[in-house]
Amino acid sequence: MISTKLTPTTIPDELLGSYETVIGLEVHCQLLTESKLFASDTNRFGGEPNTHISPLTLALPGTLPKLNKKAVEYAVRMGLACGCTISERTIFDRKNYFYPDLPKGYQISQDKAPICVGGAVTISVKGKDHEVTEKTIRFHHIHLEEDAGKSVHDGNQTETQLDYNRAGTPLIEMVTEPDLRSAEETGAFVTEIRRLARYLDVSDGNMEEGSLRCDVNVSVRLAGASELGTKVEIKNMNSIRNIMRAVEFERRRQVATLENGDSLFQETRMFDAETGETYGMRVKETMNDYRYFPDPDLCPVVLPEATIQEIRSRMPALPRELREKFVSHYGIPAYDAQQLTDTREMAHYFENLCSHTNAYKTASNWLMGPVKSYLNESGTDIADFSLTPQVLAELITLVETEVISHSTATQKAFPALLQAPDRSPRELAETNNWLQNRNTNELETLVDEVLNAMPDKVTAYKKGKKGLMGLFVGEVMKKSKGTADPKLINQLLAEKL
Amino acid sequence: MKEYLTLADLQRDLRAGNTTCVTLVGQYLARIREYQHLNAFVEVYTDEALQRAEAIDERLTNNQAGRLAGLVLGIKDVLCQAGHSVQAGSHILDQYRSPFTATAVQRLLDEDAIIIGRQNCDEFAMGSSNESSYFGPVRNAADPSRVPGGSSGGSAVAVQAGLCHASLGSDTGGSVRQPAAFCGVVGLKPSYGRVSRWGLIAYASSFDCIGPITRSVEDAALLLEIMAGHDEFDSTVSTREVPDYSAQLDWMAVSGQQPARVGYLRESLESEAVAPEIRERLGQVIEQLRADGHAVEPVEMPLLKYCLPTYYILTTAEASSNLSRFDGVRYGYRSEDTPDLERLYKNTRTEGFGDEVRRRILLGTFVLSASYYDAYYTKAQSVRKLIRQETERLLTHYDFILSPVTPTTAFRIGEKMDDPLQMYLADIFTVQANVVGTPAIAIPAGTDQEGLSIGLQLMTRPFAEKELLAFSKYVSDLITMPEKVE
Repeated sequence: MISTKLTPTTIPDELLGSYETVIGLEVHCQLLTESKLFASDTNRFGGEPNTHISPLTLALPGTLPKLNKKAVEYAVRMGLACGCTISERTIFDRKNYFYPDLPKGYQISQDKAPICVGGAVTISVKGKDHEVTEKTIRFHHIHLEEDAGKSVHDGNQTETQLDYNRAGTPLIEMVTEPDLRSAEETGAFVTEIRRLARYLDVSDGNMEEGSLRCDVNVSVRLAGASELGTKVEIKNMNSIRNIMRAVEFERRRQVATLENGDSLFQETRMFDAETGETYGMRVKETMNDYRYFPDPDLCPVVLPEATIQEIRSRMPALPRELREKFVSHYGIPAYDAQQLTDTREMAHYFENLCSHTNAYKTASNWLMGPVKSYLNESGTDIADFSLTPQVLAELITLVETEVISHSTATQKAFPALLQAPDRSPRELAETNNWLQNRNTNELETLVDEVLNAMPDKVTAYKKGKKGLMGLFVGEVMKKSKGTADPKLINQLLAEKL
Repeated sequence: MKEYLTLADLQRDLRAGNTTCVTLVGQYLARIREYQHLNAFVEVYTDEALQRAEAIDERLTNNQAGRLAGLVLGIKDVLCQAGHSVQAGSHILDQYRSPFTATAVQRLLDEDAIIIGRQNCDEFAMGSSNESSYFGPVRNAADPSRVPGGSSGGSAVAVQAGLCHASLGSDTGGSVRQPAAFCGVVGLKPSYGRVSRWGLIAYASSFDCIGPITRSVEDAALLLEIMAGHDEFDSTVSTREVPDYSAQLDWMAVSGQQPARVGYLRESLESEAVAPEIRERLGQVIEQLRADGHAVEPVEMPLLKYCLPTYYILTTAEASSNLSRFDGVRYGYRSEDTPDLERLYKNTRTEGFGDEVRRRILLGTFVLSASYYDAYYTKAQSVRKLIRQETERLLTHYDFILSPVTPTTAFRIGEKMDDPLQMYLADIFTVQANVVGTPAIAIPAGTDQEGLSIGLQLMTRPFAEKELLAFSKYVSDLITMPEKVE
């Protein structure tokens, strides 16, 4: 007998399709504050091990926490951006457990009265027929907490080294409702969260450095079932691609397990990026009792409406607001708006650009075309882009007013300007003789010359070989040394032929 | 050696040239050696204290000395001082040195106090007899077979025996007042949040208070005045202004000539559990106060019996978490036997902590555990609120609540070690102030037939230390007056 057991790889699509995947996330987002959540030492990634460790970070006896107000403000910003209710009174709790990278033997977190409650973000996902649909993912809450240090197992099985630099750095944990249904949605959601965090300047969202990490809860159930299945938590995911891979693997594994007649149990699993599989942690899992209780060293944080409004007033526009504005005010397509709002810097650049030119769609094309290609090739960011919006706008205007041709602008003027960002595009075009020749008489002479030089081709064209038009245009352009307006050449050629 | 009741007396002699700081430190050092058997000090800073005395003598000559010049101070082994060991009377903090100084200690140092050493106490300030210290029990100077009380036992005995002019202790459930009473000295527990806790090794964060142990109310007022007030390092410390307590000790002036309204706990005067001699003494004081025109009435405090259970549930809960950092990973004692992480924790903490500390950690862990949290922790928090409300209500009718500090005078060493519940009863009258957060003071009120000190406690509204100290000075004078007349 050969085994008929299904595996995550052999499970047929129609079986998979009869199940629904339910995903909930806990997103940990490291805040970009100057100092730690409760201590004055620097909050920076990296540095020699154990260089950012005050007595408080090491939990020396006699130390007391002191709340970083900036971290509270950042959490409120994120909460407001997600439409959460900001708690007027929020408290910090101690989460008690022993681990060497947790200096106090408890983590200061929030349990019963988190700073933000509810809220949601909207994500856009491509459906089967490439149709983009929107979906709202709700939050259970967002809370503030401190990070732990790092345990380093340096190949040596008997020794663990501890680096407490990260201990005490501020995090927000964003806990969703189980609203996600696929790897794609999950990827889109994390991307949106990262974008929001960056827009709001609350986090650099850098997943490789661990500024943004996720615990992913996955369960499956038969389509149409109302009860949730047994969930599995995949811990410490640190790239969007891996999150998606893990979700996909896990749903296949769970469906295969159920279809094989086996049962799932609630557990914590890790994702192996090499194999693309999740695996259970071999340690026996005991129910952890964190013995949460309000931290008596900290007072409740009271956030009056006025404070919340003040924070709100200082918040930059959100990606969604900008997208809507770009479509309604600048009249660019939704796709363009989506692309241009991917980062706050790009969105700002576009807005700035639009204050210097009315050719909004052209401006958008420039950014999504030549500018983006250049940024990709040079591996740089719009924030470091050497051309000011004024200069780019001037170049766009030169094209719009047909002073120079589009191809000259993109192929000659743009690269030249990148080399000399301080020069004026018009002056540069004049010096280089890039101005379009719109002198009809001159061009007519050139057209005649070209046509007279190739009577065979003219005959062929007239017999129907319309493709030869390109050749004629190219020849005239050559004779004009690239200065002729292609539109005008076309027009003249059509008349003569 | 001449014994000074107040720092003001001492400073008069300093200014008159009758003594110097160096002389004083030398005398205290000699007495510490002489009374070594009391085991009051864990460590004595001989050279450092002498050097500092020399420097302060010079500042005195130049009229540049601080307000505490001449004050030779001992600090309880739960207060951090930069560059000095601090162990909370525990094995688990072996070899530990603090890199920073407690705010309260720093403020005293800034006014030229001289710290002569750190003082023995119950391990992590958990105890009422100073028998739980890793450094062994402290002995009462009045009778070395008896306890000095706890947990600030070393600090109280040091003042009692004249080993230093004053001490700094900590009071979580009576740990300043109870030993002060057993040793016949003054012990002040300020309002919760009056003095910064930065640099105080935590036992129970929402109860812990740093307080002075002195020979006089005047010195308690002066030390509090200097230590109290806002501190960037402690979010729970009050930003209220600190009155000049030491300049406002005249009760008549403070009260505007009004007689005081004093309530005394009926339980304390009538209960069989309170030693007859203590009840008698309390009765005499009540009569004296009445004779002096004050309104003294019995008050009911039905919730009094819930103070101790509330206190033990909440303090052990907080302690179980506060003491988690002592794990042998970063500092202090680590067991030799650490084959894996779990045993690193278990062995270190089993070997490093004493019985009483382990008992309280276990109890606290239990009351915070998921299945019992509501039955114990949540309920105790509710009861704490009720006790607070009831006490505050009482204190709208009365300026002060008067009681004995302890139900008995100092008991014998070993007498209650096998019976934790009996031991806990030693704090029956003191815990209320910590549960509520009110200020309270222990002042000496004579001795029993065996020559053991009886202490009197006065408690008042939060942040009314000015009134409390002025009235305490008044009562203290009233109590000692008849003897003077005779």
